[in-house]
Amino acid sequence: MEDVLTENPPPSRFFQEDLNNFVSPSEPLPSPFILFSNPKPELPLRPSLLIVAISSPSLYVFHSLPSKSLIGSLIIPEVPFSGNTVEPSLQDKTCNIYSLTSSADDKNSILLVSVQLHVSPERSNLVSRLLIGQDIIPERVVILDSVQSRNFRGRLSPDETLAAKLETSSEKEAVTSRVNLDYFPSGSVIDGLSASLLSRCQVKNIRGTLVVSWPEFGSNVIRFVRALLKNIVPSLDVASVNKELEKCSSRKDAWTESDLYT
Amino acid sequence: MLNIFILQCINIYYNIYRKKRVRAYCNIEVKLSIGNVGQLAVDLLVSSTGADRVGYLDDPNLLPCVGNDAYGPLPCGEIALPLERVLYESSSTATTLAQQRSPVAKVLHFFYLYNIADLAASSGKKHVIVLSSLDFQRPQHNLNMSRGPQVYYLSNAEASERDDHCERLGFGRLDEYDSEERCWKYLSSVFEENCKEELTFHSEDELEDIDYYPSLPFAALFSAFKARGLKVTCLLCYCSEGDNIPDAFFLAEAASKLTSLSPDKFHGGGKWQIPYSWKSMYGASPDMSMF
Repeated sequence: MEDVLTENPPPSRFFQEDLNNFVSPSEPLPSPFILFSNPKPELPLRPSLLIVAISSPSLYVFHSLPSKSLIGSLIIPEVPFSGNTVEPSLQDKTCNIYSLTSSADDKNSILLVSVQLHVSPERSNLVSRLLIGQDIIPERVVILDSVQSRNFRGRLSPDETLAAKLETSSEKEAVTSRVNLDYFPSGSVIDGLSASLLSRCQVKNIRGTLVVSWPEFGSNVIRFVRALLKNIVPSLDVASVNKELEKCSSRKDAWTESDLYT
Repeated sequence: MLNIFILQCINIYYNIYRKKRVRAYCNIEVKLSIGNVGQLAVDLLVSSTGADRVGYLDDPNLLPCVGNDAYGPLPCGEIALPLERVLYESSSTATTLAQQRSPVAKVLHFFYLYNIADLAASSGKKHVIVLSSLDFQRPQHNLNMSRGPQVYYLSNAEASERDDHCERLGFGRLDEYDSEERCWKYLSSVFEENCKEELTFHSEDELEDIDYYPSLPFAALFSAFKARGLKVTCLLCYCSEGDNIPDAFFLAEAASKLTSLSPDKFHGGGKWQIPYSWKSMYGASPDMSMF
């Protein structure tokens, strides 16, 4: 183990190849796309609220919600389908889009997006453009993710639940329905898909809130997410989330997510 | 009214969220570099001048990141995006500063540079200043440390590739720049008007020590702006990874001398203002409860 006093300090937030103009570019990939179920809804969809679940606790809560209808799926070509089941499952590598209302065209419709696969930073902007501003134009967006310990400049304890938010300018100016949380501390950053989604909201002048929670797993965080969603959508039926809550009290087994086992 | 554009090399944005009309002709930008010195220097300039954020640049080529407002004095909840533009105005100068917080997606690097150069040219910028840093561990052929740290410049102000104003300020010309050297010629040809497609270049394994400088992001940005007919000056300093705050001050002071953004005109009463976000730059203090 290296001596922390003499070892080289960690590099800045980039790789050395990011500083080289002449690195050979990787092969281009096919663009992601959204596949809507039959009958295909009239596009663009204009939900009053789009909620995107990225963190494990939020994915668990979404999966437990009753009365949601699968209306589409965002396909990322480089992500294999092997191991996925016909019926939506928490172990699937999918990005499904659900409606909480009877009709996706309802002006008060709510769409849920369960991001159960890894979206690389290089693909995040393409995915966020698909979810916001093209086939889906929401009035308001809430994104649920976890604090990224690698980018967080404060102290994170596995025994302490914490949550914070970032919001767009239009969300800050809204007088109703704002999420009541402290702001994410200055000096720390969030990257990846959740950052891309919030950025997209900001440049499109859409009300957007990114809520990050810690730790990444655990029943306390699940309870927090459940309460947060109930606060945002009072009519949401979260009773079923309680039933199997204790099954998620420990860290998810990493081997079940491995691509070696399909 | 002197208009300067200081740029930190980064991606191009097509949708600009404008809070006020930007009429500055000078742009200060930063380019991703070792120690993030350019970024730190622009943070210092923004914090000290009290510049107003006038827009975000939305570019699909930039890797995403968000955070709380970096300048303070309190975390006000104003989000920070990967590429932001702020405007500083005084009675004698108007300067925009562009801050880049994350890298460009590698495969899209040159598309980004095309866009940012087009944006600067079309928005009426006259002079672009690029702030960046060089790795102290790389071979330096003409590095003279006998007089202490030195700021180096690269400029297209004159045909001789020298800049009298920079030299009067005590900046040293980057002698490693050779417009006839293969890599510099390659960069120039990529950004010429009649050469939009990527040109084939030697593989990375064939790069030599002399190719280090043109391989850096600031070199591509310099070539892109030069090809658009803009006056561009790169200010560079050597550093290593570690505590780069002194390097940031050094580079910010150089930029302020070049642009006449003197500290006595800053809103903080003549002093540099440390950005609020720097308080947690090296993470939380160690947990002393174990002792």
